[in-house]
Amino acid sequence: MIHALNPAARAAGLRRGQTQADALAMIPHLLCRPADTAADDRALEALAVWAERWSPSVSLDPSGEGLEGLFLDITGAAHLFGGEAALLAQIRTRLAEAGTVARVALAPTPGAAWALARWGEGRDPVATDETVSDLLADLPVEALRLDDRTVTGARRLGLKTIGSLYAMPRAGLARRFRDGDAIGLVRRLDQARGYVGEALTPVRPPARYRVWQAFAEPLGDIEGVEARLPELAADLTRALERDGQGAKALTLTGFRSDGLTTGLSVRMGRPGREVPIWMRLFREAGFGRLELGFGLDALMLTADLTEPMAARQGALESEAEAKQAESLAALIDRLTARLGEDRVLTPEPVDSWIPERAERLIPALGRIPAADPAEAGRRPLLLLDPPEPIDDPLFDLPEGAPARFTWRRVSRRVVRAEGPERLSPEWWRPRPDGREVRTRDYYRVEDGEGGRYWLFREGLYGREEGRAPSWWMHGVLP
Amino acid sequence: MVVMPPFPAASPEPFPEAAAPLEEACASTPRDMAATVLFALSRRREDDRRPALIAAPRAWFGEYGRPYGPGLAGTALILTPVSTAAEALWVLEQALRSGAVSLALGAVDGASLAQTRRLDFAARDGGSTGLMLPRSLDGLSAARRRWRVSAALSAPDADDPRAPGQARLIAEMTRGRGERPGAWMLEQDDETHRLRLADRLAGFGPAPIAGTGAASGLAA
Repeated sequence: MIHALNPAARAAGLRRGQTQADALAMIPHLLCRPADTAADDRALEALAVWAERWSPSVSLDPSGEGLEGLFLDITGAAHLFGGEAALLAQIRTRLAEAGTVARVALAPTPGAAWALARWGEGRDPVATDETVSDLLADLPVEALRLDDRTVTGARRLGLKTIGSLYAMPRAGLARRFRDGDAIGLVRRLDQARGYVGEALTPVRPPARYRVWQAFAEPLGDIEGVEARLPELAADLTRALERDGQGAKALTLTGFRSDGLTTGLSVRMGRPGREVPIWMRLFREAGFGRLELGFGLDALMLTADLTEPMAARQGALESEAEAKQAESLAALIDRLTARLGEDRVLTPEPVDSWIPERAERLIPALGRIPAADPAEAGRRPLLLLDPPEPIDDPLFDLPEGAPARFTWRRVSRRVVRAEGPERLSPEWWRPRPDGREVRTRDYYRVEDGEGGRYWLFREGLYGREEGRAPSWWMHGVLP
Repeated sequence: MVVMPPFPAASPEPFPEAAAPLEEACASTPRDMAATVLFALSRRREDDRRPALIAAPRAWFGEYGRPYGPGLAGTALILTPVSTAAEALWVLEQALRSGAVSLALGAVDGASLAQTRRLDFAARDGGSTGLMLPRSLDGLSAARRRWRVSAALSAPDADDPRAPGQARLIAEMTRGRGERPGAWMLEQDDETHRLRLADRLAGFGPAPIAGTGAASGLAA
């Protein structure tokens, strides 16, 4: 099946949806490559991020395969680029330089922009609220983003252009072309003319706080980027300060001339807006991770996550404690910037009886919970997760702790033991591997050399047919 | 009957309760790691509420197990699995210098003298304690004290003679700056869960002279 064509193939009369055999019959020397739609999606998404240089809100065209496109919401942004016409020209040239042939149009609605970009007259058509209906009038009905059935139906009624629909009674149109699997004709018409709204989902949630700077000469080295950042950061802190906000996450995005972007993110445990601290975090995250390509022609700094600054005060008791908390937060931010969130962890107690579930490791960025001292001495200091199997347990009594066992290939003789402490299975939580959950009996045992271990027997003797209980090493006590 | 393994004689010197800025503790055998971690955590001042940080290679947590909150007696923890020794040293230095942690524990091998000296300075700057857990005590180090830790048979349990009692370990100081090397038997306290000097009557070292409570200097 033909998925996409280049201009030469189109000129030869091939079309999308044709089988490859048909196409080869028409053009025997046709060159075919397998379509990789996932790679197409990734490339389009990367391009969408790159297009954030013109707008904080960039969405992928949801129309589907073969109709790839981007929607940029440029409300209030055109004046930054010397007006609407200049902006469209800039978008088109930049894309062309990056190797992407694109048509660009500007209109008050996504529907009208879509129609004009694909079917509009001239280069970079611009529609305003006043002219949009007139400009759409001459375009074919396909320009309304309709499914094939609706287009054929409309043609059969002699409705060839969008303008021919304006005069038709809406009730009749709505009855004949209902919203089915696809959005119906009347809705599409209203969307294009701006009578009903149309929501788009941006590829990345638009950052409320965003500053950027373009450079006449692309930045080719990391030092250049690092030198430009403080100025950007200062702009961002002013914006945050105006609203009493502090940033908890920042992203530096560099725009390359080849249509790609490169980025670096840092996170903080508490909101802040101090440029030297941000700079330090970015340095620890490593400017070297930025891939500059042939150079960056613009830098953008966004506060992806913000929080009011004032709300933080008052919760702490004394000044010394506040200072303590401050330095801890700064330490964790620094470690996290360099190592990543998944490597600066803290245990968080979880309400569960099963020891390995009673605690989970979470990024320390939030807060650091203190452990519950109630069970110290009864619970291992070092927990083996997952538990490790115990071999050759030998027993003096049939239902008790083993008198001897082998763990990690070393045979150990038990001289003291205490137990069992029975932990019933949490039958309402199935195991991830789908196996049946079984009762565990835990023992604290000591070997002749002062090693103290936390063992458990999984399963009960003589209760479960066909399944003998098994023994596991779950941790080491001091 | 259990035979006590041969340990060095108990030291008559008082156990150095207050930790130096940088110390080293080495588990006698891999089996003694839990005792060594408990020893390390007990080097913090008792009233120090700052969290403890543990930097170790990811494999360390798999080999010895991960520090487990319920067994830790209310110590807030930060765990940083690191990928290189250099990274571990960086984490330790940052943590010590910040003064935000009570204790920075690092399972690092092969640190140079200069690197340990940096940690020593950082710990003094931040008023924290640094504890290195190397696999051996052979290398040069700026650590003020070097310990070798071995788990010992637990104290007898008063209620159940067949059950393990309070955890005990032998901490042997192989080197101390301006201090005489020595060995002490320590025991985990029931209530604070910290280590304290075990009763000399526990069969280790000389008994205190009756009435004075002081250890006999003659036995050393």
